[in-house]
Amino acid sequence: MSRIRIMTAVVLAALTLGFTSCDPIGKNQYNYNTYQKAVNQTVNKNKKNDKAILLVAFGSTWQQAFDAFDSTVEAYKQAFPGYDVFLSFSSAICINRAAAGENVEPRNFYAPPFWLTAFAQKGVQYKEVVVQSLQVIPGEEYTRVINYIKDFANNANGDLDDDYLANVELKLGTPLLQDPEADVKATAKALNDLYKSQAAGNIVAFMGHGNPDSYDTYKANIRYTQLEEALQTLSPNYFVGTVDMMENFKTHVYERMAAAGLNTSNKKVYLHPLMSISGDHGHNDMAGDDTPEKFEGKSFTFADLLAEANEEGEVEDCSWKVFFGANGSGFVCNDNTIIDKGLLELPTVRQIWMNHTQAAIDGEPLDYYHSKNPEE
Amino acid sequence: MKQRLLLSCILLLAANALAAQTTLQDTIPETVVTATGTEHLLKDAPVQTEVVTRRMLDSYGGRSLEDILSGLTASFAFNEDDMGSQMQLGGLGNSYILILIDGKRIHGDVGGENDLALIDPQTIEKIEIVKGASSALYGSDAIAGVVNIITRKHRQEGLLVENSTRYGSYNDIRQHNSVGIKSGRWTSLTNFNYQHSDGWQNTSVEHTSSSEPPVTDSRNMTVNRHTNAQIAEQLTFAAGDNLELYLGGTWYGKRIYRPSGKYAHYDVHTYDLQYRNASASAGGKWKVNATDVVTFDLDWNRHAYMYYFTATTLVEDYELSKGTLYYPYYPYLPDQTQMQSDQRRTMASVKGIFHLPAGNLLSAGAEYRYDWLYSPTRVEGNIVSDWTAAVYAQDEWSHDFDASHSMHLAAGTRLTWNGAFGVKLTPKASAMLALGLPWRIRLNWSQGFKTPTPKELHYRYIRQMSGTYLYLGNQSLRPQTSNYFSLGGEYNRAGLNITLTGYYNMVKDMITLVTIPNYEAPAEYIIQYDPYRVRQYANIDDARTMGIDLNARYTTGEWSFGLGYSYLDTDANQYDSDHDRMKKVTIDGTAHHRGNCFTSWNHRFSPGYRLGAGLYGRVSSTRYYQIDGNGKGYQIWRIATNHDFDFIPSTDCRLEAGVDNIFNYVDRTPHGLHLGTTTPGTTVYVALTLRFKSGKKIGKFYNTINNNINSNQNEQN
Repeated sequence: MSRIRIMTAVVLAALTLGFTSCDPIGKNQYNYNTYQKAVNQTVNKNKKNDKAILLVAFGSTWQQAFDAFDSTVEAYKQAFPGYDVFLSFSSAICINRAAAGENVEPRNFYAPPFWLTAFAQKGVQYKEVVVQSLQVIPGEEYTRVINYIKDFANNANGDLDDDYLANVELKLGTPLLQDPEADVKATAKALNDLYKSQAAGNIVAFMGHGNPDSYDTYKANIRYTQLEEALQTLSPNYFVGTVDMMENFKTHVYERMAAAGLNTSNKKVYLHPLMSISGDHGHNDMAGDDTPEKFEGKSFTFADLLAEANEEGEVEDCSWKVFFGANGSGFVCNDNTIIDKGLLELPTVRQIWMNHTQAAIDGEPLDYYHSKNPEE
Repeated sequence: MKQRLLLSCILLLAANALAAQTTLQDTIPETVVTATGTEHLLKDAPVQTEVVTRRMLDSYGGRSLEDILSGLTASFAFNEDDMGSQMQLGGLGNSYILILIDGKRIHGDVGGENDLALIDPQTIEKIEIVKGASSALYGSDAIAGVVNIITRKHRQEGLLVENSTRYGSYNDIRQHNSVGIKSGRWTSLTNFNYQHSDGWQNTSVEHTSSSEPPVTDSRNMTVNRHTNAQIAEQLTFAAGDNLELYLGGTWYGKRIYRPSGKYAHYDVHTYDLQYRNASASAGGKWKVNATDVVTFDLDWNRHAYMYYFTATTLVEDYELSKGTLYYPYYPYLPDQTQMQSDQRRTMASVKGIFHLPAGNLLSAGAEYRYDWLYSPTRVEGNIVSDWTAAVYAQDEWSHDFDASHSMHLAAGTRLTWNGAFGVKLTPKASAMLALGLPWRIRLNWSQGFKTPTPKELHYRYIRQMSGTYLYLGNQSLRPQTSNYFSLGGEYNRAGLNITLTGYYNMVKDMITLVTIPNYEAPAEYIIQYDPYRVRQYANIDDARTMGIDLNARYTTGEWSFGLGYSYLDTDANQYDSDHDRMKKVTIDGTAHHRGNCFTSWNHRFSPGYRLGAGLYGRVSSTRYYQIDGNGKGYQIWRIATNHDFDFIPSTDCRLEAGVDNIFNYVDRTPHGLHLGTTTPGTTVYVALTLRFKSGKKIGKFYNTINNNINSNQNEQN
């Protein structure tokens, strides 16, 4: 009998061990602390001023994008000499891949909450923190940026110094196209200054991202339409379409070009990303070679492609280059008409973001609710 | 390339010419069990069954099950990668192929792919392949066919100790150890195996679009370095003259290593992949009388798939102990693991085989299966489960009209009750007619039924390849059903066996991954991950696979010859509501033509030495895919030799050596696109097996537990 009891106890102990050993107590906090410590060290090492600017982008894994981010940080450092400048990704996948790798300098684009926590650590405690959104439109991603600031200001995790939070000056720099008039107009002007020679006689089509219709809570997609209108006051040969915005896919852009009678004389269509960097969308959705499967390796016409449009009007699995360059489109579009530059690579457009940063520094009211009030 | 083709043709012709010159001789009868669950001579089996015998395995010297099946049959295609073997049979993927080990289904998948490294080639006695639906007997998954791995058993009173070590190019190590003890009523068989490969890289070029700078120094591997080990124990007790009981258990671990390079977009990885499997089983076999048998089994299996972090990595994570807290940025540190999916399955089954009057043989059984999936990062609510209960019955009737004319009929049905998808009846019927020597014909109709898996219904995950891919489950999936028809003829005389089978498999509501527009995906995922492509499981309205399989084998004296050819055509359509029309969908991986051939020769030079040598070829035409390009056609040839030495008492000593892919064919298609084959080019291997036996051979009953096979005969060839 006693042997059975001992065996039972051993089995139970083994089972208990088996179940608990997978989840060591305190692991969560240990990991957070270890990770945060690395971010703290990065900030400590780079602290030269008592004010900081945190640039927040979605992120990317493309070298061209890393270069654009690096040059943006440099430009900010030049323009804001009293500030330490840091850059943050909100995409975990992009953060991970940028930081790892062999034979390459780690690129630490930590997530916003980790940077902000590091800014508040004892011994750093920046007096002024400016968070600058690197988004193009005040849409869903921008809302996330605002929420990071809110969580920070409200000490959501309860691990920050309340006295510090009560005194720190928190500022928010808005996205590129925040203001439907001034920013849209300034961006249109900057783009026209760069591409007016292409737009004279040919067409320049910008490809923005856009929010899915079901997630455009703040009606920020309208900025693309507003930008196109502003650009067309400068030249009727500018168009702005998107990847995800309903009724503004490449087919709709084509319809607008055709309605303006532009598709009759084999004009060139220059394609340009309307995103802060040129990444997956720029290289694949815009400039890639994706062709609907049924046409791969076969000859097809523009009409064949249009016949594949789905009920939302989009031709899936087809890049802008293949679409506008298809035989019978009335346009010429190929590798030679790709302008593969993100907006951060254009100093005059980047300057508009920097102007927003300056406006925030100059006391533009920090309005957490701005983008939460859908426009009429 | 032309020269190689010419040489290949010469080799084939030479093989056939040799075949014509040799003396015809009968082969020793083969028994099979898979098609009906009851034992038959291969020639009498009502459903065409392809057999890979131990003798073929010995001659071939295969490193893995993938290697064996792709080299010794024309039916299978593989494309080994991180996510598994990408196995295909008759145009259908791994999730439609039921893989059994001694009649029991293997467990666990990653991306729908079983990890075939679970099966140690050294433990295989033979492989039986039955094409087409077998849901009536085996339930879900058996739509494309069944692969039944019959393992070796310890049959001798006394001790068996075996060690086999195979070493090949790319540091490919296959180590197998067995210890079998039989004493009185107790039998114990312990297997341990260890496998490792350094992996290889066929190209360092990444597929880039024309707007990107080329990447020519990627560190991505074609097949990653991997290591796995398994230990298995089976204990058998003869409780009486008519009752045998067993207890078994296994543990298996695997790690797939992923090196990192300098391109964040292409070849930077922050975690390796890790599997942890375990199983436990118990059951028995009750011999009711001289002819009737009842078996009962209880099985529990676990397959855990996790990330093993090699660099600090932020992930989404959840903490269940604190009321499901969600962490958008949870940092994992190097050498920590995160569970991706933990699949557990519990099965109970009972089956009886009863001889009834007038030549009837009844098989009847019941099964209960409970599937449980824990996946904190990939399934909303963390856990999903599914259960299925089934009863089935099959009657076989055979009648001999005269010495050379006979008929064998088998008909059966299964009633399946699934917790989520209700009740379904799946019948089957088959007939074998012996029309007088040497001709036989076989007719077969069978239905398949496969409910969506918990992963297909509920899974959601991100895969970062060249761009971010979002994979979504689909809770509105319907079960898949199939109707399989086949008609086959067999010629069997004087060592020559030729079978020709045509089949037509209609799969209704086939589940496959299709690309959907981003705006159809939940918007929060689009915002969070910004995927380049969204792939979701969907029912295809109508899919058909049809084909012709030809197999020819000729054995005479010391020579064996084999030729296999498989023609496949597929036609799959999905209703396109936007255009009110059916849209053609490619069934990924389809190749129209596949073939294999072999010739082997065995000669005993002295009582202490026997030599075996073989030449093996396999070819495939282009494999078609929905996205990311098609896989190139290929042909690969192999030379294998084996040497048996009988100079140590009670110990078999065997040396194998060979060269695979002798023409050094390598598919160097850039990473990111589909390959026709992942072979690294020419490889060499050498293997040494030592088997020590003491004691005497005993009757077969005690050792055939858990399968109804008498496989002794195969050893005697």
